[in-house]
Amino acid sequence: MARLAETEFPGDAEADDHARLEAALAEEIRKSDALARVTEAVASSVDIDAVVQVVIDGAREITGAAFGAFFYTVIDSGGESYTLYRLSGAPPEAFSSYPTPRKTEVFAPTFDGVAPVRSDDITQDPRYGRNAPHRGMPEGHLPVRSYLAVPVVTREGEVLGGLFFGHPEPGRFSARDETLLVGLGAQVAVTIGSIRGAAAARAELAERRRAEERLKFALDSARMGSWDLDVVTKAYEASDLCKANYGRRPDETFTFADLIATIHAEDRPRVLAAIESAIRDGTDYDVEYRIVLPNGDLRWLHARGRAAQTADDGGARRLAGVSLDITERKRAEERQKLLVNELNHRVKNSLATVQSIAAQTLRSSASPEFFREAFESRLVALSQTHDLLTRESWAGASLREVFDVELHAMAGEDRVSFSYDLDVRLNPKAAVALGMGIHELATNAAKYGALSMATGHVAVSWTADQNLLRLTWAESGGPPVTPPARRGFGARLLERGLAAELSGGVELTYDAAGLVCQMALPLRALEP
Amino acid sequence: MKTLSSLKVLVVEDEALVSMLVEDMLTDLGCSIVGPAAEIEEALRLAGSAEIDAALLDVNLGGRPIFPVADALKARGVPFAFASGYGEAGLTEDHRGAAVLQKPFREADLRRVLEGLVGQTA
Repeated sequence: MARLAETEFPGDAEADDHARLEAALAEEIRKSDALARVTEAVASSVDIDAVVQVVIDGAREITGAAFGAFFYTVIDSGGESYTLYRLSGAPPEAFSSYPTPRKTEVFAPTFDGVAPVRSDDITQDPRYGRNAPHRGMPEGHLPVRSYLAVPVVTREGEVLGGLFFGHPEPGRFSARDETLLVGLGAQVAVTIGSIRGAAAARAELAERRRAEERLKFALDSARMGSWDLDVVTKAYEASDLCKANYGRRPDETFTFADLIATIHAEDRPRVLAAIESAIRDGTDYDVEYRIVLPNGDLRWLHARGRAAQTADDGGARRLAGVSLDITERKRAEERQKLLVNELNHRVKNSLATVQSIAAQTLRSSASPEFFREAFESRLVALSQTHDLLTRESWAGASLREVFDVELHAMAGEDRVSFSYDLDVRLNPKAAVALGMGIHELATNAAKYGALSMATGHVAVSWTADQNLLRLTWAESGGPPVTPPARRGFGARLLERGLAAELSGGVELTYDAAGLVCQMALPLRALEP
Repeated sequence: MKTLSSLKVLVVEDEALVSMLVEDMLTDLGCSIVGPAAEIEEALRLAGSAEIDAALLDVNLGGRPIFPVADALKARGVPFAFASGYGEAGLTEDHRGAAVLQKPFREADLRRVLEGLVGQTA
């Protein structure tokens, strides 16, 4: 404008110059305005596609190009790179039938990010038309003579793509256009770079959130509390579940001092030593200990953790890990131990029982053959009561069941009749004792008594009232009975052993019509 | 060493067959038997008042521990041994170190333990 004011009296030639200058100036102003608009639009874009469109539209306006394109490389989530493009001044179909531009001699400087390429007539350029199959622009390509291409390269040197502009007439693009586009390309690179950076940051944040959610889900599912101790300040952070493990609500404060105070006094030195060792030596913190809840309940916890070597001096700055309530597991272990002890006790008692059977069978046996038969049948009798009890998990058995298994072993059950109102539940010890007694009665009956003859019969009856079981085993139809000269094992077991063990009375009557065994046993000694 | 002959031994055992075995062993050793008791109440009664030189106590009496009987004998100065399928592990703190016969045991084991008990009071 200042120069216009200096020319006070312009002639015709001067007027022409003047008009040219004015037009050039107007053109420059238009380009500057367009550049300013594009620059602002680019800077405020948050989406790469939008940036690209703004740039090629704006650049076409600045340079007066008939058509413009931006070819750019995209890397998908799988890491594959592929080329996209956006057009201005031409419909999208204009390139859709062509493959991606290759790095021909014309395109290479752009795609390699080396330098701009500007040509008044690209078809006359020595680099043009040297590649099969098309040898220049393919059939039906937009008619390009004037050509201007600028690479878009980040400051780190990564080629993001290229800006390409064309015009059907030659000589349309000036050095000034080239300069403007180089500047615009640099700005696009910065904007795309920052959009990508922001997207990467968002993606990383989202991935971290997902990872944290996964971790929380896993910890919650496993009922694991997580905790974090600042080794220096003793600041202690505990998750809600961790607090719950220590009997605290999520909104309650729970400091390191609270934690230590909650640990059972007997276990505290062991836990403190483990913490110290983990911090000092970097050993895994892995300790099981008891805690006393505010309500006085005792719980078992298992804590695992590790020190993070992050302090400036190379020492541990934090100790972090998880804790898990293992009270149930500890109780199960305790039960297991009791069961194993109990089993051992039973086995040892059974061995002592077998020892007793052997010793007493030997005392009353006339010959080794007799001993073997009697000993084995007593062992089988004992074993059958055990089988019966095992079927009922050693909770007990009924009196009738005990009779059935022992008589079944003697093959005499169909010749024994039963009469009773109510069956009686027996505890395991009473079942074993009565099983042995019934075995002795049945064996005796089969050898010498009612069951030794086809006509013989045994009537078993019982009543259970006034806390007493009254049971009668009455044989009939067998050979005449005389009292034995010497009391054998069976009689001793029934009258002395069984009576003492079950705190009752057992009496054998050698009635001429058949042996009668009467028992009066208190139910408290029998019932489970 | 005091002889076991005519020694009065209280037997507390709740299983008939085991009790019969112990009675036979004691009889063979020349001892006389006090009891046998299969229940705590009876055992306590005998431990408190019967004439006893020594006692053999089953640790578990129908699910009830024998220790009150052991305490009563201790108070009277009567030596005793436990007979147990648990071994020494089944004993309470008070009675750790007491004589224990692990079931099953031989007559010779019983004699050795009884001689030890009698030696204590000799």
